[in-house]
Amino acid sequence: MSADVELNNVSVTFGSFYAAKSVNVKINGGEFFSFLGPSGCGKTTLLRAISGFQDPSEGSVLIDNKDMSGIGPNKRPTSLIFQNLALFPLMSVSENIAFSLEVRGVSKKDRQKRADELLELIALEGQGEKKVHQLSGGQKQRVAIARALAVEPKVLLLDEPLSALDLKLRQRMRTELREIQKRVNITFIYITHDQGEALTMSDRIAVMNEGEIEQIGPCDEVYNNPLTPFVATFVGENNPLFGKVKEINQNKVRIETPDGDFLATMNENKKLNIGDEAIAFVRPESLFIPREGDNFDNQIDVNIESFEFEGNIKNFYATLKSGTRIKFSIPNAIDTSSISSGTKLQLGFESIKSSILPKAQLAID
Amino acid sequence: MKPTYFINFMMGMYIFIFFAYLFGPLIVMSITAFNSAEFPSISPWECFSFRWFNEGKIAYDGQHLAGLLSDWRLHDGIISSLIIGAGVVSLSVPIGMAAAIVLTQVRSQLRDIYYSISIMPVLFPGVIIGISTVVLWDRIAGLGGDGFISDVGRNGIFLTILAQTCFISTYCFLIFVARLQRFDQTQEEAALDLGATQTQVFFKILVPYLMPAIASAAVIAFLFSFENYNTTVFSILSDQTLTTVIASKVRLGISPALSALALTIIALTIIAAVTYEILRRRSEKKYAQSQEIFVKEKAASGRINKEYKAGFKVPKGIVAILLVLVFATYGATQIVKNDLYGQSCIDAADQEKKSKFLEQLQTLESNELTEEELSGGSLGGTEDYGDIFGDPSLFQDFGGFD
Repeated sequence: MSADVELNNVSVTFGSFYAAKSVNVKINGGEFFSFLGPSGCGKTTLLRAISGFQDPSEGSVLIDNKDMSGIGPNKRPTSLIFQNLALFPLMSVSENIAFSLEVRGVSKKDRQKRADELLELIALEGQGEKKVHQLSGGQKQRVAIARALAVEPKVLLLDEPLSALDLKLRQRMRTELREIQKRVNITFIYITHDQGEALTMSDRIAVMNEGEIEQIGPCDEVYNNPLTPFVATFVGENNPLFGKVKEINQNKVRIETPDGDFLATMNENKKLNIGDEAIAFVRPESLFIPREGDNFDNQIDVNIESFEFEGNIKNFYATLKSGTRIKFSIPNAIDTSSISSGTKLQLGFESIKSSILPKAQLAID
Repeated sequence: MKPTYFINFMMGMYIFIFFAYLFGPLIVMSITAFNSAEFPSISPWECFSFRWFNEGKIAYDGQHLAGLLSDWRLHDGIISSLIIGAGVVSLSVPIGMAAAIVLTQVRSQLRDIYYSISIMPVLFPGVIIGISTVVLWDRIAGLGGDGFISDVGRNGIFLTILAQTCFISTYCFLIFVARLQRFDQTQEEAALDLGATQTQVFFKILVPYLMPAIASAAVIAFLFSFENYNTTVFSILSDQTLTTVIASKVRLGISPALSALALTIIALTIIAAVTYEILRRRSEKKYAQSQEIFVKEKAASGRINKEYKAGFKVPKGIVAILLVLVFATYGATQIVKNDLYGQSCIDAADQEKKSKFLEQLQTLESNELTEEELSGGSLGGTEDYGDIFGDPSLFQDFGGFD
């Protein structure tokens, strides 16, 4: 059983500070939806508004088309997994998992049965008698999920639950979370500042900045066609090239920058006019070292400053003529041993892989 | 001498002096409980005896000096102290807990004000709390005529419970505040989110978490109540608690029965502390073992799976116990050697004192005054002092008593 969640014009204010500002979003039943944004962007506030810990100052939260105003967190069909998990340290694993059943007056036998079922779901069979402190980080994580699922909520809310885990475990838990979501088939609303997590797990993501939603859409759309410079630089990495619009031909825009003219693709929702200040974005992996016969839409002269080896790729940091720094990544499969600091190169990139947007605030790294 | 030796030596001296200062009086007092003399003393040593622990003694002049077991005033005092202690615990622990929980909910400038007001009772002199309680309840008792309110308002035990709760609940409050500061409030939220009502959150999450604080607050409240004097002495009215009984005894001259009482209390305290420590270590060991099993399960390699080698070490506590034993043996042999124990010794001492007393009485009686002494003795006749109040000039500069 899953439910739609709808936020209608939700604002949350603390004094004169807007933690969330006129947020409108409709999350479909059974969807894995992520709110992605830097710390302090209001995503946790939104989650608390959905779970009922925070009343919206304006607007309404609808779950299953029912207005939730005045309904406490213990009466909503949602379960929240906290950032620190908030497992009960004085209870055993089984007691933790069955807590929601205990407070609903379910008999001890039924509670035990349900706890065992869920322990099986999270692959911790026979460990119900352990205390929470005897579990490892990943196991605690799974217990928190089982506890939240025990009452069969219609919506599961997750507040950066993976942030405390190490990298390997985090990657494994991503897959596991996704699998659990498919198995139980309920709406997952996930909060994270880690774009990698959001992109790998979600059906759709909403990118937030300073209390407002900048873009909502499927992962690849948000990544490939960002709506704002903030989204372009927050989701993944991007090299901004500042300039003025010189020429517009349908959705192809020529931008004049101190480092030359470039052809980029305009988002149909963000119209530009000739003479507008604009930014063309090109991702590190879209910049190529041209080989014989390659013909790119754009060429750019760079002067290599430094590089770092990351394993599967090699990252190069270079300066342009105007002093602008850019980054580009070359797969390890290509031999780049001849390139070192001081090397001058000409790189190429396709206009379809470069988006152009009106000048606005970037995400600060 | 290397400087580290010197520092260690000085440290040792410091620790010795510190402990001597702390426990010296207690040890001396404990020893006096076994001396049969009427006044608590070590020297002169009369006889080794347990009489101050049980029946006490009837003095040669007929005065009854009660021992610990036969002193009914002490027993009454202990019973009312226990009742008051129980009352204070059952009032101050909930009050302190409620106040501390309220503090966690207040999140504005009010918080500081609330905190200051809450801890204020410990800053008041206990005397004032005692007196004000009596004054207030005397008014209240006066309102209701001769009924129930009048009885309650003039009941010393009831008033003492209220007066002590006034400031002891503050100590409980501080204990709960300390524990609540470490409480992870998301646990409450998690419980709420899982469908618990506020009541369920309180009893299933908060109270189990606060259990250690509840226990220590109860112990502290009881101890504070048991030993309180300055508030109790006013609010107890015509009743007596242990402390007021002891105080009144001190006024009449202390007896070794008080030493006996002190030793009993010290012994009970030590037994309780040692029992607690043993239990605590046992559970800690259990926890450590479970953690070790957990770590070993986690460790795939045998890297930390090695058996620990058992080494032999002399526990430092043994040295202290040996030292005490040496002193005790020395004392005991001295007592036995000089025959300073048993009924015969006590009888002999009593006999000696009685005869001394009689001797003094006889001397007093035999000192009949001569005619000369009665009439002023060798210093002169009665006329020297006869007119002392008749002389008008004698007190002319006397300004009167201030």
